[in-house]
Amino acid sequence: MDFLVGAFKPPCNVSISFADARTRKQVPLKKDNGQTVMVPLFQSQENIIGEVLVEPTQGKKFEHNGVKIELLGQIELYFDRGNFYDFTSLVRELDVPGELYERKTYQFEFSTVEMPHESYNGINVRLRYILKVTIGRNYISNIVECQDFVVRNYTPSPSINNSIKMEVGIEDCLHIEFEYGKSKYHLKDVIIGKIYFLLVRIKIKNMELEIRRRESTGSGPNTYVETETLAKFELMDGAPVRGESIPIRLFLSPYELTPTYRNINNKFSVKYYLNLVFVDEEDRRYFKQQEITVYRLLES
Amino acid sequence: MVLVLALGDLHVPHRAPDLPAKFKSMLVPGKIQHIICTGNLCIKEVHDYLKTLCPDLHITRGEYDEETRYPETKTLTIGQFKLGLCHGHQVIPWGDLDSLAMLQRQLDVDILVTGHTHQFTAYKHEGGVVINPGSATGAYSSITYDVNPSFVLMDIDGLRVVVYVYELIDGEVKVDKIDFKKTTTASHTAH
Amino acid sequence: MMIPDGIEDEEKWLAEGIAGIQHNAFYMHRALDANNLREVLKYSAQMLSELRTSKLSPHKYYELYMRAFDELRKLEMFFKDESRHGVSIVDLYELVQHAGNILPRLYLLCTVGSVYIKSKEAPAKDVLKDLVEMCLGVQHPIRGLFLRSYLAQISRDKLPDIGSEYKGDSDTVVDAVDFVLQNFVEMNKLWVRLKHQGPGRLREKLEKERSELRDLVGKNLHVLSQIEGVDLEMYKDTVLPRILEQIVNCKDDLAQYYLMDCIIQVFPDEYHLQTLETLLGACPLLQPTVDIKTVLSQLMDRLSNYAASSTDVLPEFLQVEAFAKLSSAIGRVIEAQVEMPIVGAITLYVSLLTFTLHVHPDRLDYVDQVLGAFVKKLSGKPKLEDSKAKKQVVALLSAPLEKYNDIVMALTLSNYPRVMDHLDNETNKVMAMVIIQSILKNTSCISTADQVEVLFELIKGLVKDLDGTDVEELDEEDFKEEQNSVARLIHMLYNDDPEEMLKIICAAKKNIMNGGPKRLPFTVPPLILSALGLIRRLQGQEGDLTGEEVPATPKNIFQILNQAIGTLTTVPSPELALRLYLECAEAANDCDLEPVAYEFFTQAFVLYEEEITDSKAQVTAIHLIIGTLQRMNVFGVENRDTLTHKATGYSAKLLKKPDQCRAVYACSHLFWVDDLDGIKDGERVLLCLKRALRIANAAQQMVNVTRGSSGPVTLFVEILNKYLYFFEKGNPQITSAAIQALIELITTEMKSDSTVPEAVSDPFFASTLRYIQFQKQKGGAMSEKYDSIKV
Repeated sequence: MDFLVGAFKPPCNVSISFADARTRKQVPLKKDNGQTVMVPLFQSQENIIGEVLVEPTQGKKFEHNGVKIELLGQIELYFDRGNFYDFTSLVRELDVPGELYERKTYQFEFSTVEMPHESYNGINVRLRYILKVTIGRNYISNIVECQDFVVRNYTPSPSINNSIKMEVGIEDCLHIEFEYGKSKYHLKDVIIGKIYFLLVRIKIKNMELEIRRRESTGSGPNTYVETETLAKFELMDGAPVRGESIPIRLFLSPYELTPTYRNINNKFSVKYYLNLVFVDEEDRRYFKQQEITVYRLLES
Repeated sequence: MVLVLALGDLHVPHRAPDLPAKFKSMLVPGKIQHIICTGNLCIKEVHDYLKTLCPDLHITRGEYDEETRYPETKTLTIGQFKLGLCHGHQVIPWGDLDSLAMLQRQLDVDILVTGHTHQFTAYKHEGGVVINPGSATGAYSSITYDVNPSFVLMDIDGLRVVVYVYELIDGEVKVDKIDFKKTTTASHTAH
Repeated sequence: MMIPDGIEDEEKWLAEGIAGIQHNAFYMHRALDANNLREVLKYSAQMLSELRTSKLSPHKYYELYMRAFDELRKLEMFFKDESRHGVSIVDLYELVQHAGNILPRLYLLCTVGSVYIKSKEAPAKDVLKDLVEMCLGVQHPIRGLFLRSYLAQISRDKLPDIGSEYKGDSDTVVDAVDFVLQNFVEMNKLWVRLKHQGPGRLREKLEKERSELRDLVGKNLHVLSQIEGVDLEMYKDTVLPRILEQIVNCKDDLAQYYLMDCIIQVFPDEYHLQTLETLLGACPLLQPTVDIKTVLSQLMDRLSNYAASSTDVLPEFLQVEAFAKLSSAIGRVIEAQVEMPIVGAITLYVSLLTFTLHVHPDRLDYVDQVLGAFVKKLSGKPKLEDSKAKKQVVALLSAPLEKYNDIVMALTLSNYPRVMDHLDNETNKVMAMVIIQSILKNTSCISTADQVEVLFELIKGLVKDLDGTDVEELDEEDFKEEQNSVARLIHMLYNDDPEEMLKIICAAKKNIMNGGPKRLPFTVPPLILSALGLIRRLQGQEGDLTGEEVPATPKNIFQILNQAIGTLTTVPSPELALRLYLECAEAANDCDLEPVAYEFFTQAFVLYEEEITDSKAQVTAIHLIIGTLQRMNVFGVENRDTLTHKATGYSAKLLKKPDQCRAVYACSHLFWVDDLDGIKDGERVLLCLKRALRIANAAQQMVNVTRGSSGPVTLFVEILNKYLYFFEKGNPQITSAAIQALIELITTEMKSDSTVPEAVSDPFFASTLRYIQFQKQKGGAMSEKYDSIKV
């Protein structure tokens, strides 16, 4: 009866708030239940300051075993649900065991927190940051309250950013030279390039450029790869002749890209590829895939 | 006012290639009421051309005319005047006024128009007027030396006829006129 | 891939396409009204997607395109007004590029681009350059062609031309030119590629539809010609070479022909003149199936008109050596295109000749050169049969005649007759008529025997039967017209100098004598008369001219004429010959050549006796003889007597009595000539008149008295008039008593036949009596004479 979990109203309300809630940028975050909420945005090395408010309900005092707040960075692999791997874990003790009979506010501060990985909600993996307040209790479960926040990290424009230029083809059918202006693109960048036709013996119907995201999770025998085509952008309508040069101008901003994530904590990677596709009149597809690096640009 | 064109002895194509250009430009369809032609056109083309100028066309036979069925003589009445037409090679001596006067009496006309000599003349005598419009193309004539192209336009108005003669002399068209008046309408009473 | 099988299917797809456009347009309009940019872009992109169809032929696609075009105008207005959608034009330019499908994307981009340029937030040249390059993404021939056509249309008024508001500091006219040229080149490539769409069996239909789209491509050239900043130098250095490069490289005969023609039509003639070498240089590089001759003809015609427009421009032609370039270009084309039908080559030469006549009218050698080149082309080939070709040759040969208005110029062209030699007989005659008409129209004179020879050589088709002519085929009317024209022509052969004139006559005679009996009656008379004119001129001159083969003396000429008239017996034309003999006789009389005149009379009488049998013809003939003889003053008594005897004799032997009567009394004048002394034989005059009376009497006693004016009473009145004539002249043999008796005779005769009134005699007699009365009342000698005659 009284000791059934969830049967009772919790004895107190816990809420976490951030000190700079009014000024800090908020971004949408999709939760497990499908709802989208707005949560604050942080970058690595920022200070996370706020307060925890504990408010007993029903006016009754309740006893606890101590109040703490943790800052957690977690990776959850979906094939291994429920198993969270904490790559970052910081804790602040807020209160010693005691009694609470009236609301109490605890300030907390995590300074210069190292959050090198960005929040990521993928197909088979999720990386999240949360603030978790735990009020310990004897014999019954702890009271836990979590607050998500999102971390995004910016990098400056790369000093070296070579173009991708290559000649490829199928013998006696199609020879092309493609060129993408850069190999590294930021999220609001434009892919500028061209396709030059050296030999055209097939009847091309059209040419597209796909942006594909490859998310690979796990390792060894438990490696899962999910590929998603995020964009299908028509570059050319109709059949070219030898010597034609078709321009490429693909704006990345409309698409939901993330920066390239390489081997995050040895747990997962998210990579991006440009897939150049030729479709012939019999709907056969010929393609050439090329990886690009995506980053989040630090604006000066 | 009735305009009558009198011309003849064109001798196309035997003696002349065509009417002089200056004459052709003056002769415009629709202005003339009658054409009387003394003969020696000589070919159908000339006949057709004259017909375009005026549908009321009267022709007598000249000795070189291609069309042998033109009459030897013709008479017609225009207003108060009786006109007679004849080429003139039938009247010997050629060009002799007295002999022509005889023809005039025979045809009983006020105005006799004849050709053949290629020489413009206009005489008034007791019996009436004899007019020779000359050669419209200035064709060679064994009778007349130095033929100038000429034709006649008669303006018949009541009892009066004004004869305009047009001559092409040294490339210029010169006009002269002669007035004739008829004294009576009937020709039977002696005066 | 393309071109449906059934037309009904196409109609259906078109209808579907239009419905799709309308459907999306509806929602687009709603979004426009709500200023909802996002929705506007969404529906406009969907609407434009209808243009991605592959199912329509060019013709139908155009219809679909026009629907979309109209909607895009509304869209453009919306884009222009930032207050409605709140997005800057720069951002809008990017925004539309997010569209996934390229065709809607580019239509939208061009539309925004138009607004962008108008806003002047970026140099026009940059926007234009971007647009024309981005359009490379559409390589499908129909879709690409229409897309670029759209680009051309919206950019037309926004080119950075001099004087345009869109010309900023950084733009130059070169940018405008480059843009248009680039769009043109790409459009042409796409248009040419259209040829290879579709299955072979529909190729013809497709070519026809492709041809209908040609103006989409050609429009660009028109735009180029309208750019103010394109001066001659830019045209020469940049524009023309680029266009020609594309024309040659595309290797498509339809495109090549059309575009060459376009260049010639849209750019000024002055430019063509200055780039002649370049332009002509491209011709041999074109596909052999291109109708280059028509292009060249057009060019030459334009240049001809340019030359004709003002004499100021003529030096330019000389400076660029236009003639040399054009004639060698034509030569090369004709040589290269072996398959060219002859009518094509002729058209080229006609154009070149017209050009030459306009630009170098004084260079007869050029004209001859052109004709010579043509002759060379024709040599070794059979005579022309194609009617169009023949017409063109007539046009070719007529051109110099029309230009020079002087046949002599044309006669000096050595190749002129050579060209005519290649015509068949019928066309030869047609051309001969053209030549004669030209001479007659311009009243130009042919004044040397040599020219006459050349002329007759040219018109030989009319003057004699050419080999192979089927005489039976000749239409009589046409033949008459031809021969009358030749007759008229003879009067245009003239020279004041008698020696030369005689040579001319001899040359003409020589030629017409080959004409055969059908032609002689037409051609001999004018020759004779022309010669008589010469003789008359010689009359005024003194002495013989020596040192020539045939001295131009009347005597010699008469000899020639005698022989010429003699040929008319082969026809036979005895009546005509008789008249001509009489004309010659009179002329000989005026030259004082008695034997010659006598000879002519003899010939005339021979014809009368032996050849002229028709009674009416005899009447006229005998009157002509009498009339002529009456005027002769050269004969001695013996000759005169012989001739008058014959004349009177024949007069009395005419078939009908009235004719006899008249001829006989006409003969009375033979014995009385007013101006010469000696020939006033009153007795013989009276003899004639009496003889006439006797015949009149006999006639009266014959059959029907009731026949009008040919009734014998008229004859009496006529004879009476003759009596009066000689009475007045003073013939002593004619007495007033005789006249009185005659008057009474007539009066009696008339009264006895009062039952049948003779209308004509009555007035005739009456006017004769009136005349007598008039003479009586005249006064003076005449009155005295007539005094004793009572009327």
